[in-house]
Amino acid sequence: MINEHLPALIIGIPLLAAFATPLISKINDKLRNIFVIGILGATLCLVISLAFNVFNNGIFVYVMGAKSPGLTLPSGYKMPVRIILEVDGMSIFMAIITSIVSLLGAIYSWAFMHKETGKDKYYTLLLILAAGMFGMEFTGDMFNFFVFLEITSIAACGLVGFRINRGESSEAAFKTMVMYTLGALFVLFAIGILYGEYDALNIATLASRIRYTMLDKIALGLLVTGLAMKAGAVPMHMWVPDAYAEAPAPITMILVANSQASLYGLFRVCFTLYGLTISTYTLGWIIIILGVLSMFIGVTMALIQKKIKRLMAYHAISQTGYMLLGVGVGLAVLSDANALNTYGLKAMEGGIFHIMNHAMYKGLLFLTAGAVIYATGKRNLNELGGLAHKMKFTAIFFIIGAAAIAGLPPFNGFASKLIIYESVYKFNPMLSVIAMLVSILTLASFVKVFQSAFLGPEIIEVKKEPKSMIFAMLCLSVIIIAFGLFPDIVVDKIVAPAANALVNSMQYIAAILGGA
Amino acid sequence: MIGTLETGYGVWSALYWLLGLVVLFIIVYFIYSLGGKTVKASGDKGKPFLSGNEMEKEKIHVKASNIYWGFTEALKSYYTPLKGGHTGNINDYVSWFVVVLAIVLILAGGL
Amino acid sequence: MILVLKSVIGACLVAFIGIVFGLLYKGIDRKLHAHMQMRVGPPVTQPFKDVRKLFLKENLVPENAVDWVFNLMPVISLVSVISILLYVPMGVDPILSTKGDLILVLYLLMLPAVCMILGGFASSSPYATVGAQREMVMMISYEFPLAVTIIAIVWRLSKIYSASNIFTLQFIAAHPLWNNVGVFGVIGLAILLAVLLIVTPIELSKIPFDVPEAETEIAGGLLAEYSGKNLGMFYISDAVKTVVMASIVVALFFPYNISQYFSFPQYVDYVIDFAFFLFKAFVVIFVSVTVVRTSFARLKIDQIAHMLWVPVTITSIIGLLLLYLDTVF
Repeated sequence: MINEHLPALIIGIPLLAAFATPLISKINDKLRNIFVIGILGATLCLVISLAFNVFNNGIFVYVMGAKSPGLTLPSGYKMPVRIILEVDGMSIFMAIITSIVSLLGAIYSWAFMHKETGKDKYYTLLLILAAGMFGMEFTGDMFNFFVFLEITSIAACGLVGFRINRGESSEAAFKTMVMYTLGALFVLFAIGILYGEYDALNIATLASRIRYTMLDKIALGLLVTGLAMKAGAVPMHMWVPDAYAEAPAPITMILVANSQASLYGLFRVCFTLYGLTISTYTLGWIIIILGVLSMFIGVTMALIQKKIKRLMAYHAISQTGYMLLGVGVGLAVLSDANALNTYGLKAMEGGIFHIMNHAMYKGLLFLTAGAVIYATGKRNLNELGGLAHKMKFTAIFFIIGAAAIAGLPPFNGFASKLIIYESVYKFNPMLSVIAMLVSILTLASFVKVFQSAFLGPEIIEVKKEPKSMIFAMLCLSVIIIAFGLFPDIVVDKIVAPAANALVNSMQYIAAILGGA
Repeated sequence: MIGTLETGYGVWSALYWLLGLVVLFIIVYFIYSLGGKTVKASGDKGKPFLSGNEMEKEKIHVKASNIYWGFTEALKSYYTPLKGGHTGNINDYVSWFVVVLAIVLILAGGL
Repeated sequence: MILVLKSVIGACLVAFIGIVFGLLYKGIDRKLHAHMQMRVGPPVTQPFKDVRKLFLKENLVPENAVDWVFNLMPVISLVSVISILLYVPMGVDPILSTKGDLILVLYLLMLPAVCMILGGFASSSPYATVGAQREMVMMISYEFPLAVTIIAIVWRLSKIYSASNIFTLQFIAAHPLWNNVGVFGVIGLAILLAVLLIVTPIELSKIPFDVPEAETEIAGGLLAEYSGKNLGMFYISDAVKTVVMASIVVALFFPYNISQYFSFPQYVDYVIDFAFFLFKAFVVIFVSVTVVRTSFARLKIDQIAHMLWVPVTITSIIGLLLLYLDTVF
């Protein structure tokens, strides 16, 4: 019985638990922490069972309030009007990332936020953020997508400005709010244009009706720019260091998954909504240029930063460039069947695999940065030193995360970067060269952080790291090492269905309209 | 074979490399153990070599802003406009967004 | 199963070859360098005696150093640099040729340098830190020309052949590119060869690019606080890295074998190919390490960074452009 309602449960359970959290925290703090972790753990189990369902049976269509998409309302509408959740390979891929990251963030927050006040609001907003991300990834309806986009924006801004005793947090929250609102309003405008033209809000229906007039081109431009800004592409990236640096460390990890959810929205628009009608070559090149700029400018700005979390935030921008590059190459050769089969599909698999790897190792790095800030209370690299003498676990996890992000074998960053290099070079060799260059610059900046924070004589007092923080970091390290040692299993079972789902947009449309 | 990643044009297997590493580690550790013993020095032998100057611990550690001086100095003509562009002003953020929107609309419109 | 056995025995074999021939080449290099300076110089087996003497001394760990990083880095550096030899052809096909390719070799080349850098940083001494960060700046700077060279060669190969293992060094060594390109291609390949020969001494930190270990300026640089068996391990790994870089240059540009001209049984073929490979590696080391070492003075770090980012990069991109023009005409 649960199996029929899985997508709605995955969105609904965190949402309802979010509203129950303030009531439970009035009883007991520890009970509330266990409640939140339990809810997110249950969501993870539901996501895994939905994943098995989707991988075995194909696209999972769930209609809110009816049994099939074709059931009409009494007034005789002949096309799907209800909100439809459509889960294909790409959606469930992003949902796996979101659920793992939210669960580990909640476990880490147990000790990290132990001494702060207002924790009930913190956990409420965390659950709302998780529910909003699941909604963005599962929905098959454009306006519903906008609604969940706004839900995650509000929750994210609240969490970014959580520490209101610091002036920088409030300023960062203000800037994030302005940029998110601007992006969301442009997305709404584009959705409004499409609705006015075609009288439909469902993605599958729109995709089958789009004719690519001038208004559609305007809508495409607005959607691509708005969603790319929310994902953190250069040159609209400047809110990212402010937001990621001022949010508490576990929230930054979940914000990374949030940016990747809007990246998912961008890919859904480009591949499924517009995929059949436009010549994807120019659009692909736009995304590739955004990717290359993000990679290079992100990492060169990161090399000169002095605050530990700002440096890591610039690296998040740079790694987003890798994902845009990989999938952009796939988009550019979508119409050329020969090139698509030789290297286009592999490039997309590389970019999509990189999304999952990035969430894991970036999350680990942000958690170690949080551990450093928790232990010493300082954020500036100029004031730290010699932490590896006392904080051995954090140092080892930092080495694993830094080696993974730099792409050193045998961790998972090397596997996904290998796929990207060895398929993008066929499209244009300079892209592959720039990607390799960015990889070594990434290594350089993390060696800099390791030296100034962890090595050197002991000049700072440290507190001991609590067990829940070490546990969360350990889970991420195990996932990183496992994905690095067995990359072919991950690529065949999880990534290849996602790439195929993006490329075969006819399947997505036929799942709703064909059966109606 | 499990664990072998086949990209379209290359191969990578992490398990065989780790196997080679383990064998090599045994060999190299054997060579390493033939050496003299490890002594943690203290007193004058253990201080960092600074040509005889005495310094307290805070001054010994090279700060993060001074690392990679050669790189930032060589690429000064690239870094100065880049750092100038990141002002922190919300008006600049929005104007960059509008500029990119205009460019994408022109390019996508010509499709 | 056979591959597992092959990799275990091959690892032992490759460790022996790497260490012995690496130290031998180091000795020959010192002898030739001395003769070019009108001196007699040390005997050719001097590096073996140096290593033996270093291993007899006491291993001193400074007071402020992070112990586990300080002692672990020399071991990991030597292990990782020997493991590269499993993937590189030395006259015969590489041992693990079906399990790793050129991009893996490129990334594995970063590992010994990073280990040396982390070892230098772990010494917690200002001279060591300055030396180590100079090594890192050099590593950043030489990556662009090296990446352009490698991707240009493989891209040009992929336009001619369509195979599923183009990136493996076995394929690249079996299909040398000089035969299959026109006039533009030959000029482009010559330019890329020159760029790779410039990058080789930079990667090995030899004069004129040995700012990280500048004995006269920063008192030994990143190896300042190392002594005893740790210093011996770094010495050996530097020697093995020379062999690795030379064999990569040989595999990319001169992979020809002479055993096809004689008709000997198969194991004699292996020996002849390996001997010819040793000769070619010696020529590469002579041209790019010994001659350059004798002729030039040391450059400053920002001069090196500027030289690599502006002229050498532009030269390598010109080489790539010439290879591209070769496919058009």
